[in-house]
This record gives sequence, C-alpha cells and structure tokens, in this order.
Amino acid sequence: MNATTQLTAADFKSDVKPIWCPGCGDYAVLSAVTKALADLGKPREDIAFVSGIGCSSRIPAYTNVYGFHGVHGRALAIAAGVKLARPDLTVLAAGGDGDGLSIGGNHFMHACRRNVDMTYIVMDNQVYGMTKGQASPTTAPDWCNSKLTPEGTGISPVEPARLALASGANFIARGFAGNLNDVARLIVEGINHPGFSFIHILSPCVTYRPEQREWKNAVHPSADASPAQLVAEAMHRLAADDGYTTGVLFAGNRPPFMPERKEKATFADIEKKFVS
Amino acid sequence: MAAYSVSVALTGSGGAGAMTAGQILLDAASKAGYYGLMTRSMGPQIRGGEAAALLRISTKPISSLDDYYDVLVAFDWGNISRFAAELPLSKSSIVICDPEQGEVPEPIAQYGAQAAALPMKEIAGSVPGGRANMVGLGAAATLIGLPIEAVIQVLTAQLGRKGEEVLAASTAALRAGAEAAKALPAAAQLPATKHDGAERWNISGNEAAGLGALKGGIKFVAAYPITPATEVLEWLAPALDKTGGALVQAEDELASINMVIGGSFAGLPSLTATSGPGLALMTESLGLAVASETPLVLVDVMRGGPSTGIPTKSEQSDLNIAVYGLHGDAPHVVVAPTSIVDCLFTTQWAVYLAEALQTPALVLSDQAMGQSRNIVPKPAAVPYTAKRLVAEGTLEAYKRYALTESGVSPMAIPGTPGGQYVADGLEHNERGTPSSQASDHQSQMDKRFDKLTNFDYGNHWADIEGEGEIAILTWGAITGPVQEAIERAAEQGIKAKLISLRLILPASPEKMAEALKGVKKVLIVEQTHGQQFAKFLRAHYDLPQMAVVNRPGPLPIRPAEIVNRLLAWK
Amino acid sequence: MPTDIATFLAHAVALEQEAAERYAELADAMEVHNNKEVAELFRKLSAFSKLHLDEVKAIADNYDLPQLKPWEFQWTDGESPEAAPSDRTHYMMTPYHCLQLALFNEKKGHVYYADRAHRATDPEVKKFAQLFADEEAEHVVMLEKWIATVKPPQENWDLDLDPPGDLE
Repeated sequence: MNATTQLTAADFKSDVKPIWCPGCGDYAVLSAVTKALADLGKPREDIAFVSGIGCSSRIPAYTNVYGFHGVHGRALAIAAGVKLARPDLTVLAAGGDGDGLSIGGNHFMHACRRNVDMTYIVMDNQVYGMTKGQASPTTAPDWCNSKLTPEGTGISPVEPARLALASGANFIARGFAGNLNDVARLIVEGINHPGFSFIHILSPCVTYRPEQREWKNAVHPSADASPAQLVAEAMHRLAADDGYTTGVLFAGNRPPFMPERKEKATFADIEKKFVS
Repeated sequence: MAAYSVSVALTGSGGAGAMTAGQILLDAASKAGYYGLMTRSMGPQIRGGEAAALLRISTKPISSLDDYYDVLVAFDWGNISRFAAELPLSKSSIVICDPEQGEVPEPIAQYGAQAAALPMKEIAGSVPGGRANMVGLGAAATLIGLPIEAVIQVLTAQLGRKGEEVLAASTAALRAGAEAAKALPAAAQLPATKHDGAERWNISGNEAAGLGALKGGIKFVAAYPITPATEVLEWLAPALDKTGGALVQAEDELASINMVIGGSFAGLPSLTATSGPGLALMTESLGLAVASETPLVLVDVMRGGPSTGIPTKSEQSDLNIAVYGLHGDAPHVVVAPTSIVDCLFTTQWAVYLAEALQTPALVLSDQAMGQSRNIVPKPAAVPYTAKRLVAEGTLEAYKRYALTESGVSPMAIPGTPGGQYVADGLEHNERGTPSSQASDHQSQMDKRFDKLTNFDYGNHWADIEGEGEIAILTWGAITGPVQEAIERAAEQGIKAKLISLRLILPASPEKMAEALKGVKKVLIVEQTHGQQFAKFLRAHYDLPQMAVVNRPGPLPIRPAEIVNRLLAWK
Repeated sequence: MPTDIATFLAHAVALEQEAAERYAELADAMEVHNNKEVAELFRKLSAFSKLHLDEVKAIADNYDLPQLKPWEFQWTDGESPEAAPSDRTHYMMTPYHCLQLALFNEKKGHVYYADRAHRATDPEVKKFAQLFADEEAEHVVMLEKWIATVKPPQENWDLDLDPPGDLE
C-alpha cells in the first residue's frame, strides 16, 4: 500500500456511535485499536474482530473490519475457529473481565495454552457494567457496591496477567486506557508477536466504579528495562507486581499452533478402506 | 417365507475376544457373498469387560436385527445377566457353551433353547498358540453353513502382518472348532449364495457420517470426545488431514461449537459431532448460528438419556432438544439418517443444506447405527456438496442480511473488500447493525423462517415404500425393523406403507398429506419413553387415527413387536 | 522534544487533529446520551479545532512532515495536550462543564506551545511555536469570556432520576 492510500485510524472506525458512557475507558481502547490497525497497514477486509457479551464486547461494531459479536464468554473459541480456518487473516478478540475471566475463564486458559496466533484485548474495569454493576473475577473482595454482594464477594480476585502466563500465553502486556497511544503500541506489538498475545487494559468504568479515576495515579511503567523472555523470570516479576505495571510484561517464543494443511490422498483412496 | 438370514451371537468376557471373532465372522460372510449387520454390547469396564458380538447374516442387504439369535456361542458366562435381555433366543436356537464354564445361567436358560457343550478352551489348548475364541468362531461358522475357507481368507488378510506363527495358530484353532462342530446339533443354516461380484462395503454409521461430511465438503472440525460419537471424529481426523482439512480437539463442547461457528464465518464448511449431553451444552451457540445465519453441521449420535443416561446404548430421545432446544424462535434444519448406510447420504445432504441455507443442520444419528457395522452394496454417489451463496467482488453498501426473495442473502467472506460486517446474535437490520425495532425483528424472523420453508428438499424428506390403508411412521434406526415388520405382516395379509422421516425440520405438511392419502390408520414406532416423535408429528402434521409403539433404550425394537401391533389392527 | 521544524509541525497537526477528533467523538457520545446542548457545543469545538487544523496544515504543507507513529509523538503526558481527557466528561455535563473542559485543553495547548517556544533553538520552530502559543492564548481569553455568559451548574446537576438500564 503506498503512502497516498495509507489508511488512517478514522478509516478503521465505523459510523456506528458507541453506547459507552462518556468517561468510559473503552473509548480510548477503540482509538488505540484503530490507531494500531492503521499503523499496521493491513487491509480492513483481512482483519477479523471477535467479541463476547458486555460493554467492552460492543467494540467490533464500532470498527470497519469483519466482526463477530458472539455469545457470552466464547469469543476466544470463535476467534480460534476463524484463525484456524483462515490463517491468512489477522484475528483480534476483545471483551471485558467478566466475559473473559468468569464465563470465559476456561476458554481463556485453553486459548493461552493452545497458542493460536491472535491478539486478545481484555478491557478490565473490575465490574459487570452491562448488567448494572456486579462484582467480577477481578474485583477486590471488599468492594461493597453491588446489590448482589452487598458485603463484598469475600473472594480473592484473579490477576489476569498471571493467569495468562501460567496458562502459556506467548505475549503479555498491560496498558491503561488513560495512555491510549501507549496501548496502541502494545496492540501493534501484540499483533506482530506470534502466538497468543494477551493485552490486559485497565479501562475505568465511570458509572459503577467512579473511584477508578484514581488509576491514573496508580499506573506506572515497569522498572525492568525489557520484557521478560523466560517464563520463570516473568513469573518472578509478576509475583511481586502490584497490578498497575504497564508495558510488555512477557514476550515468549513458543511456536504458534496451526495444523498443517496437506493434500496427500483423494476421496477415492479413502473410500477404498471400506471395501469388503 | 424361507428364512434368508441367520443370527449369531458371540459372548465372552475378560479379553476373551468375542468382538474380534464377530468382526471376522462379518467379514467372512461378506467374502462368501452374504450381507450382514453386527452390533455389539459391552460392559462398563475399559478393558476386560463382558462383550457380545451380535450378528445377522443374510442373502440380501439388511438394516435390522432379527427377533432372536439362532446360535449363541458363549466363551464364558461373565456377568451375562447384564445383557441377557439383548440375547433373545427361541426354542429352536442353539446355545454352544464351554462345559468348563459351568451350567447355562438362568437368564439364558429361561429362553428354553437347546444347549450343547463344546470344550473350546480344551480344544484351543490342544493347538499350539490356539485361542478359545477362534475355536468358537470356527464352530459358529460351520454350524450356520458359512464356508470355513471364507473365514480363513479374512483371517489371513487380518493376521498376515502379525507373522506366520500367529496365523497358523489361529487357523488351526479355527479348523479344530469347525471339526468339532460336526458333532453338535443342527442349527439354522444360511441359504447358499454366490458373491455377485459387485463391490460391497463394510461400514459403521459413524464412519458413514464422517465420509458424508468429508465428501460434502467439510474442511474444518472442532470437537470434544463423547460416547458414542467419538468414532466420527476418529475417522475424520486422519481423513481431513489427508485431504487439506483440519480437525482440532477443543476443551469442551462450548468451545467446539463456537470454533465451528468461527471457522464457518471465515468461509470453511465446518462440523462438530457429539451426543445428547454435548448437544445440550451447544444449544445457546446453535441459536447464535441461527441468528447470525452461520452455516454449520452438528452430528448428534444419540444415546440413552436423560443426563448422563446410558452412554453405550441407543435411544431416539434427543428429538425434542434437537427440534425445540434453542431458546427463542430459532428455525433450523434437523435431518435423520434412516439406516447405517444412509448416514452417508444424510450427512452429506446436511452439509449441502447448511451451506445453501446458511443455518445449522443437525444430523440425528444414534448409537445403534453409529457403532454397528453393516455389509452393504457400495453406496451410490451423493449429488450434494457445499455451495454457499457468497458476496463476491469489491462490495459497496453491502447488506449482509438483505431481505431477498428466497430468504438467503449473499454472505461476505472475510477477505472480500467492502464486505465487512459484524455477525451478531443480537437482532439486527439488513445491514447487520443491532436493532430492537419491531419491523426489523419481524422481517429478519420471517427471513430466517421463510428461507427454510421456501427451499425445495425434493423427495429426500422421507423414505416411502409400499401402499396400504395403514401407514407406519418412524425415523432413524427404527426404519430397519419397521421394514422387516412390513414384509412379514404382508405374508399375513396386512398391507402397510412405510414413511420414514429424513427431514425432521422444517416440517413438510403438504408432502405428508400427499403420502397419507388413502391412509386410515397410522402406527408410530419410536425408541423413546416420552413418545417424542408421536407428539412432534401431532404438533406439525394432521394424522388420521393413530397408535404408538414406543420403548426407551437400551433394547432394540425388533420386528416381531411391530408385527404384533399391526396384527391387532387386522 | 521535537527540535526540527518538520517534526514540530507534525506535532502541531496531530495536536489539532486529535483535538478535533476527540471533540467529535464526545459530540457523538453526548448525542447518543441525549445531551443535545452539550453535543452541539462539542460539535462547535470540533469545528473550531478543524479550522485551526486547516491553518496549521496550510503552513505544514510547505514542509515534508515525518510519519510518526502514535506513540512516537513526544507529548508531556502521553497524549496530545488538547485531546479532551475523558475522565472530565459526564453524560449529564452542562455547557459550563463543557466549556471548562475546552478551557482546560486550550490552556494545556498554550502551555505546550509556550514551552516549545521557550526551549526551541531552531529559529523557525521558535517562530511558529510562539505564533501558535499566542493563538492559543487568544482562544483561552475567548473561552473565558464565553464561560462568563454561561450559567454555572446547579447543585445536583448530575442527579439522574432514571435507574440504570441493563442491556444484555
């Protein structure tokens, strides 16, 4: 593609207006995604964006690429199917912390393990926004503002980056919606890195978690000069991590999973086996 | 009518080799020019359990078991009470058993058949490397008049690779059994026949479904193993690998169905196979496929339900969930093979239907067809392969869900410039944008419904045979016993018409009305406890006076039960 | 910090572009949330930014601007100074809030250019940075005057008598 037909971020946005509350971190993620895709320069028709259910999962409709808005928790399975069927496509998946780590938890673990080449963006606001504000698997146990768990869940949250690492994800990064240009960079790196790339984005919910305004004071870049490349090193760093470290946390070298396509028999050869 | 078939059962436990003997017997029958059907029954153990090979050998193609076994060869009596009910014998049947194993147990003795002793273990001991099951096999073959040379021919082909000694030992044991059989009481004999020279196949329902999928154009499978569907996947994995496709084992059924949706969205005809419990998990995402108009094929090899049920036995009780199990009004296609070999046609047809109609097509097979082997004439080529209506070229103002006359709208495959859209489970407008508008919901619902009912399914909707004022309505594996029953009832002066439904959904009211012209009574036969098929028929069709013969699994419905019910109407 | 004129102008273009796009995005968001008054205001602000953008582009056309990736821009706090921060928005925000936000942005824009002008060693950079800083200063004054004509918000301006919806 030559310079004159270079697509801009605006070219990757559809004309559908997001229903996100003003102040939602997902607007920034949308901008970051479109900036990243513009930077990568791939044709829009060669990109598939798959999501589940939730506020964050609305994102494919706001872009101009092929999209699939699936059922709750199963985006990674759909995305895997798309990539396994069409290795030539660039496949992105997105969703929130509930979609990805509660109902989607099992698929998340296996997607990291299976390591199909795709990039998964989780917009983590530590709440279920679309269904009026329940605790999610990343919510602190003493958060008391949900009618379903008025005394807090009493259950420790899961930390997504650690889970991803333990399950085998090949690239793990964390970003903050307030730094959208940085998030764009992480997305580009994630897409370019082979295998399953997990981008954990702290994306505040202005409606149900207004206190997340403070996140901008809590996030900080990693103290390490470069991402860990060995799992043990990454585990060591993540064990001490406060959950607010941004940047690429792990960049591994597991080969991505993709079955080889071979044609070495005809239907007639196969039918011969039935002859009695 | 002279008997054209003989039924033989071989049982044993603890690795006695009843199944191997059964397979060899079936293959030998084919070599000798016969047709045959073999089902099996096994205990719950992974290894060393009790096993029964249940065969019917015939001069013409068959797809049903008979009412009883003419010959039962028991290598031992391990836990026989577990499936004694599947070993019905008549008073003229012969039970061959090893005196070392003790008296014929009561569950078998109560049939009143004649027992004869054959010291299989002892005879096997007299042959170096001999096994009791080969002795029993040789005896069984000889008893029913199957040329021993045919058995040796099969043995040579199968054991040749294991070395001359093994082959020699097995052959010797076989011949010893054949020799000893001469001293046994006479049993039912196979009529003489000659191989007609035409190609015939030895195939199971699960293999046939796999082949139908492959030839229909399936290129991507994602699945999770479950009894009794696993063999569909085991067959497809290497077959796809050799022909440019791929099979991926998913972490569960939820992942399986969604991977299939993804693969199909990306442009490849895609399939999964499962059984009742897996189908139950998949229903939400089947709805997604309906709403997003994503083609896919789902093979459900039905087993005893509900819940974990009886995994190794057959039943037809997934009809309700297949037809009604999706939430909302979610029209889709459900087809059901009518026999083991029809698993090939119907699955291949299902691929064609799913792709043409951009909808999920469920194939309701069952354990009885899936895991049984049938000797059949080489199946005819099936003229149906995947052909999806795609939007091609560089598109402008593309509407994925445009309201067309047929109801099917061209689908843009990722990679097609200008065709970008978001497939969605949310109700949507023609463009695909989510919509809660009444007019959009109505028109899209009409589209998804009309596209199925506007379609011409030809005469594959049912297999119809014969004429009469009585019609027997059935489906799936029960078609075989019904066909036999109709043949036998005709000998007793009752004429009945067979209508075996292959296309379950959408319903075909006009075609059924045509088929029921002149029919005054309808007998519905199905293998369920809750009369699911009868209730389904009543919901979708006008029927004259009707009666129902229904029984849940695990026992097969046999021709005699159906004949008796028909006679009641004489 | 961008030192040569081409890089400086690339930043100036991005600054106005992102301001215009962000205001347009906020206008859309306000429209979707039925806050018509503020939606219109954001559209106006977007149009102003677009005018400024055109002006800057006219100047930048004389130069060969580098193609910088979004994260290669050297902003003080990671984002272009006039891109309205979303945590200062609310679906029920009043025109007063909106203009305060615009004022906040323009002040930041002014500071950015003033700082560039102060530190620049390249005379061209210094010239244009000062020019733009002065323009931003004018915008600040204009906005302050505008705000003076707008009613400040009442207490409970964010009282929403409708309960939250649940959508899926």
